[in-house]
Amino acid sequence: MTTNDKKDLLATRRDILKGAAAGAGALAATSALPGFVRYAQAQSSEPIKIGFQVHRTGIGAAYGRWYDRVTTAAAKLINDGGGINGRPVEIIAEDDGTDPKRGAEVVEKFASQHKCDIAYGTLFSHVVMGSAPRAGELKIPYFVVSEGHHVASGALNRYTLQPGICDVKSQVKSMAPFVTQNLGKKVTMIFPDYAFGHDHRDFFSAAVEANGGQIIEKIAIPPTETSFTRYFPKIPRETEVIYHVMVGPAVLTFVKEMGEFYGPNKPQIFGFIDSLEAVDLNSPGLEFLDGTYFWEGMPRYAQADQTPYDKFYRDHVGVDGNGASTADAKDVSTYAHMFGCWETLFVIKAGMEAAGYQGTGDRTKLIEAVEAMTDMAQSNEHPQGAKRFNGKTHQVFGPQYISKVEGGKLVVQHQTSIEDGLYDDEVDYTTQAL
Amino acid sequence: MAALGPGVTPAWAHVSEGGLILLLPTGVYITSGVAAVVLTILALLLLPRGVTGALFASLRLPLSAIEGLRTATRLLALALLLALVAAGFLGTRDPLENPLPLMLWTVWWIMLAFLQALVGDLWRWINPFAGVAWLVGRAGRRNGIARLPEHFGMLPAIGLYLCFAIFYLADIAPDDPDRLAAVVSGYLAFTAAMMVIFGPDTWLERGEFVSVLMGLLARVAPLARREDGLRLGLWGHAIAHGRALPATLCLLILMIMATGSFDGINETFAWLGFIGVNPLEFPGRSAVWLSTVLGLLATMAVFVAVFAAAIRSGVWLAGETDRFGEAFRRQAPAILPIAAGYHLAHYLSVVLVNGQYVLEMLTHAFHEHGAQDEVTTGFLNATDTVRVLFLTQAGAVVAGHVIAIMAAHAIALSMFPSNRKALASQLPLIAVMIAFTLFGLWLLATPRGA
Repeated sequence: MTTNDKKDLLATRRDILKGAAAGAGALAATSALPGFVRYAQAQSSEPIKIGFQVHRTGIGAAYGRWYDRVTTAAAKLINDGGGINGRPVEIIAEDDGTDPKRGAEVVEKFASQHKCDIAYGTLFSHVVMGSAPRAGELKIPYFVVSEGHHVASGALNRYTLQPGICDVKSQVKSMAPFVTQNLGKKVTMIFPDYAFGHDHRDFFSAAVEANGGQIIEKIAIPPTETSFTRYFPKIPRETEVIYHVMVGPAVLTFVKEMGEFYGPNKPQIFGFIDSLEAVDLNSPGLEFLDGTYFWEGMPRYAQADQTPYDKFYRDHVGVDGNGASTADAKDVSTYAHMFGCWETLFVIKAGMEAAGYQGTGDRTKLIEAVEAMTDMAQSNEHPQGAKRFNGKTHQVFGPQYISKVEGGKLVVQHQTSIEDGLYDDEVDYTTQAL
Repeated sequence: MAALGPGVTPAWAHVSEGGLILLLPTGVYITSGVAAVVLTILALLLLPRGVTGALFASLRLPLSAIEGLRTATRLLALALLLALVAAGFLGTRDPLENPLPLMLWTVWWIMLAFLQALVGDLWRWINPFAGVAWLVGRAGRRNGIARLPEHFGMLPAIGLYLCFAIFYLADIAPDDPDRLAAVVSGYLAFTAAMMVIFGPDTWLERGEFVSVLMGLLARVAPLARREDGLRLGLWGHAIAHGRALPATLCLLILMIMATGSFDGINETFAWLGFIGVNPLEFPGRSAVWLSTVLGLLATMAVFVAVFAAAIRSGVWLAGETDRFGEAFRRQAPAILPIAAGYHLAHYLSVVLVNGQYVLEMLTHAFHEHGAQDEVTTGFLNATDTVRVLFLTQAGAVVAGHVIAIMAAHAIALSMFPSNRKALASQLPLIAVMIAFTLFGLWLLATPRGA
């Protein structure tokens, strides 16, 4: 692809805004109909305003930058294809500072100040938890891209939906069959000692035992720890698989020290790519990861059997075959998560089209249209894989990927089925009033 | 984020950079940095008295500014600031695209403040508040309608600086274009009102904290103004030859230093642990605003106390206890180079990332396609570049201390005719500065979670 091609694909939000304005102008200009019709048409070609709650500053900024790029690329694609219901899409980005209180303020700005049709795009769970109640009060549909189980757990409300990315409960559950059948049945878990790690511990323990495996040791590591050598001797000798979900700046140290502890004779090791999202796998100290396995939401490296959909998505977002920016090979994207923005925007589009969405008065129709969705085929709109939406729990389910590090790249070993990740409904949002 | 239950969020903004720093041999770097400072001290003590004076020799530049031209540039700067405020209210909501937060935080606060210390008093030419002062003067309000009591000293500027530091460090959304535009326009109106009340010159000198702050930083620069005009010398020459400053201005210097330090402290695992926040799931500014404010105030108090104690015990060792006030007011400016070094160290990665957004914003007006997607943080992902960044930051911290110690030494020599007394008066401050070098380098190397 030439630089010019790439530049065409990589428009900024402002280009989209300009395109939107030009589209509206063109429609008005070509309208040679009587005044009242022209008025109706001009009104219907007003852009659909999507309030994008983005982590521009604060701890989520590294993710926010990539969520922004994906959102910009998807919105451009939608507008190039004629928009939604003949109307261009306008993305209005507001920084939430990765702060829950600010998140609620931003949702309010979308609803009251910017007159957005919907709010969308939040990643960090505490911001979702802080914002969703306000979205419910203001009755503005709130599409989150957060991976959190908070939507399907029933903790939120009917206006909050997660149709573009699977939740972690489903991810963790679907890993257990592969781990117990291929890597080993005796598992030691190493996790940070707080809610995030505890949830991994609880969900994965249950799933492993349901699959005939056994958790033989659970090693909780204090969040402030930055050296781990004294924890490794606690790993039982008979351990066949180590399951680790360490996060934060000390992750590289953790992996390096584990490598020094084991040398070449290590058990099977399974981790979540969240630990190393946006980190170059060729970073020093990570050599030890060669031969270990990771969960990936979407394979960072283009695989030998890459789907045309993955290629299409990479080309439009500006990501190369190694999951890095086409502008800088060192700039590794948050590939395992950011597809959620892309897929969510296309679900919103499909939902608005199904609902015949015309304006904020049709918000409830939009919610009902999305709730009515079920299966979605793998496609340019759903490059991560086919999806199944559960209208009752407002949560989507899809495939997960298990990849092995080989020569500094992640090579997909197994793709889970949608069924692997399903669990019993914990809520039925459709019973709540709109 | 990969969170299962409500509110569980693993936090990492620049995991690569932080993680790679933890793998660098930072212990070696820190030891080398402290050693460099100690060697400087030994060299100063061993070298004859005249050497320090020679180091800070300077050349007077026979330049006379054209006052009218300066007024014009200041008014232009004011017009630009007003345009930025308008952009804040009316432009894009994205703080990394809107010109106001980019120009204010990245260009003014990070870049320009450092350039003041690195080069010279650029602010003197582009000070929009001096533009306001000129307009107020033109409107016939040169004398004000009330007198700002002399004994207030710089207290108005100190109060406003404190508000600024709290807004910057603890506010929930200081980058938000709307909010920032409201704050800036409010401050402009307040400044104009104070100038009408107390007279434009008085307020510019003692109340308008931005002018005071930028003027202080410019004292570090090689191009610095002294009693007889503009001079060119080594960094710190104006400080080394400086007169005693008003006590309240010295207080402000220590507060600036404390703010820069706390802005690093509040991100560390150590601080987050202290305030009971899990560093792996930073809950956001709104959850910690009170501990941020209290931590800032406490750091300021500690800095003032430690500096005063060092000066007090210094004059006691020199047997000149009655000269405490003079020593305090003469030595405080020597802290400024350290503050400038910290500034660079603290903001280096920020400016390298946000500077790209500034460029994108500036060039966007002339290009159909922006460089938004060309913005990269790839240099934070590779050991080689992270090492260069770390060593640059450490170098800035060390250089700041070296200049500070040399300037403090020169000041002590000019205060005390006897070498023995000058040395004795310096010992406690030297110990503090060595400890502070260690602290500054530790801040760079320690894991951060916010």
